[in-house]
Amino acid sequence: MMAALRHFFSGLTGRLLMSAVLLSIAALISGSTVLSFVFRTYVVSDVDTRLELFLDTMVGISEISPDGVIRFTRPLSDQRFSTPYSGLYWQISEQGQEAFRSRSLWDFELASQPEHRSFSIKYMEVEGPDGQSLRMAERDIILPEGERIFHYHVAMDTAEINAAIQQFNLWLMGALSVTMLVVTAALVLQVRYGLKPLRRIGENLSRIRAGKESRIEGSWPHDLQPLAAEINALMEQNEQLVNRARTHVGNLAHAVKTPLSIIQNDVEGQNGERLVRIRKQTRLIREHVDHHLKRARIAGGGSGAGLPIHERLSKLVRAIEVMTSDRGIMFSLDCDESLRFDGEKEDFDEVLGNLIDNAGKWAESRVSVTAERIIEPNQRSMMKICVEDDGTGVPESELDTLFERGKRLDELVPGTGLGLAIVRDIVEMYGGQAVLETSEYGGLAAILRLPAKDA
Amino acid sequence: MRVLIVEDDKTLAGQIEKSLLEAGYAVDVAYDGEDGHFLGDTEPYDAVVLDLGLPSMDGQTVLKQWRTNDRKMPVLVLTARDTWTDKVEGLDAGADDYLTKPFIVEELLARLRALIRRAAGQTTPKLECGPVMLDTRNGRVSVGGTPIKLTAQEFKLLSYLMHHEGKVISRTELTEHIYDQDFDRDSNTIEVFVNRIRKKLNADIVHTIRGLGYRLEWIEQA
Repeated sequence: MMAALRHFFSGLTGRLLMSAVLLSIAALISGSTVLSFVFRTYVVSDVDTRLELFLDTMVGISEISPDGVIRFTRPLSDQRFSTPYSGLYWQISEQGQEAFRSRSLWDFELASQPEHRSFSIKYMEVEGPDGQSLRMAERDIILPEGERIFHYHVAMDTAEINAAIQQFNLWLMGALSVTMLVVTAALVLQVRYGLKPLRRIGENLSRIRAGKESRIEGSWPHDLQPLAAEINALMEQNEQLVNRARTHVGNLAHAVKTPLSIIQNDVEGQNGERLVRIRKQTRLIREHVDHHLKRARIAGGGSGAGLPIHERLSKLVRAIEVMTSDRGIMFSLDCDESLRFDGEKEDFDEVLGNLIDNAGKWAESRVSVTAERIIEPNQRSMMKICVEDDGTGVPESELDTLFERGKRLDELVPGTGLGLAIVRDIVEMYGGQAVLETSEYGGLAAILRLPAKDA
Repeated sequence: MRVLIVEDDKTLAGQIEKSLLEAGYAVDVAYDGEDGHFLGDTEPYDAVVLDLGLPSMDGQTVLKQWRTNDRKMPVLVLTARDTWTDKVEGLDAGADDYLTKPFIVEELLARLRALIRRAAGQTTPKLECGPVMLDTRNGRVSVGGTPIKLTAQEFKLLSYLMHHEGKVISRTELTEHIYDQDFDRDSNTIEVFVNRIRKKLNADIVHTIRGLGYRLEWIEQA
């Protein structure tokens, strides 16, 4: 689980999502802090305004009675001033006198420091009755009736404010959480949509590896175009390297062959321990050269348009017919003109050339080559090619061993014995199959399954 | 039988030439494509051994031009390029057989013999005319089962006539096919050779056709 998560977040999608989500969380947290602060400021200033209003009213209705006691000409309209511990309080203090208080304060007295004179309004937080914490406005007032200074207080319980702020924060969190979810979902979509061309390049690459295409083609977003171009250039370079390596191997092998012919001819038919050894070693060199040269040539890839096999088979049959013409063997070819091999011409020629040539060497009087498409539902398009002769054939028990490297049934028939091994290697490289059976004509039947190109 | 070798590697060309001479062929050698092409185009050869990788003009082109000019002698292509695609191309260009390097000269000789026989319309390696038999595989000649010793020139002459049994062969044609190009030709020597062969075979198969040349034929004596 952890490993899977780590894997996801180390990927491109994970990284993009992770960074975007973290950034948006940070933005939302700072945004909500600011919003919450602004709301609190607004609520507090609203309370302050109301407190100032009460204070002004109190001053407006204050008078000093003839017996020198401060009193109101009429009661304050808000009922909460008369309900004990209601959360709304007033108090008028005078230095040296008992404070004149609202009924709501009951037996509590607001902390007052009348000695600190302030004729402008001041706000503060103080402790109230019943453990309440209060927002209080206070101001010193000199009433017109005399030279006495009264200290006016109006206080309100902040529980109400805090409740409002809490409510607000709750809503805010809710709204922000929803926003987060929506934004994350949008990000996922965005990342998927944004990375889609990358995925397409990936799919394209795997098609190229499967040999279905040779280059990344089509139009790409302008910022991916350089990547596509670079990949194409890299593939071209790679192809050139492979071709160069192949050419070098080929050149080396071909250059070696003429001197090898000369050595072989010089020591041929002569006796003596050393000459026999030289002969054996030159034959080994020759076999190695042939083996590696042939394998280096295998292309093993699909070809764009497919190879029309009727033409190739006719040419091969005609060529082998010419080479065996003194033996008067009948070659027959039965192949659909539209059949195409999904691969390289050189590989096809190598496989069928070897098989038909073998059949020609062993045949008594006839060689038959047939090719047909195999219909298999939901499968890759395949074809079956059958090369048969009417020679002496091979015992069933030895059929399987024929594909082994260097295996030759009869050392007298010319050939290096690599033919069938290379046939199998090439066929397998294309994901096909090569099977040997006994032909209905009595000789050997080589049956191939090779990938076909859809018409 | 006169054979042209076109091969740029002088050592290999020398080996082939030596073996062909020993086997009783008249041999010309060219070391590049242009020379080879010229010789093949102007001289009458019974077979050509042609390497495909040649300087100045590649073997494929040489072969195609010969075939375009209606030169029909059998051509054995010699090459290090041994893919089937190469073989198909070579045979498409008009080759009659294909031998890949490295090869042993004995195999080349066998293929060449088969090519020459095929071109002359013969199907077996043993050519027979009456009691006279010539085995192309080992160059032995016998009359009624008794081996006969022939000189190289006598063998070449008889071999050419045996390959073209029943046809009238002019002296010029014989000269052209039993001597290489450097030989100082004198058609009178042909007559000398023919007489010697007649004597050695002791069988009346070489007939003189006055004014035309010779014909090899066995006529049953009643």
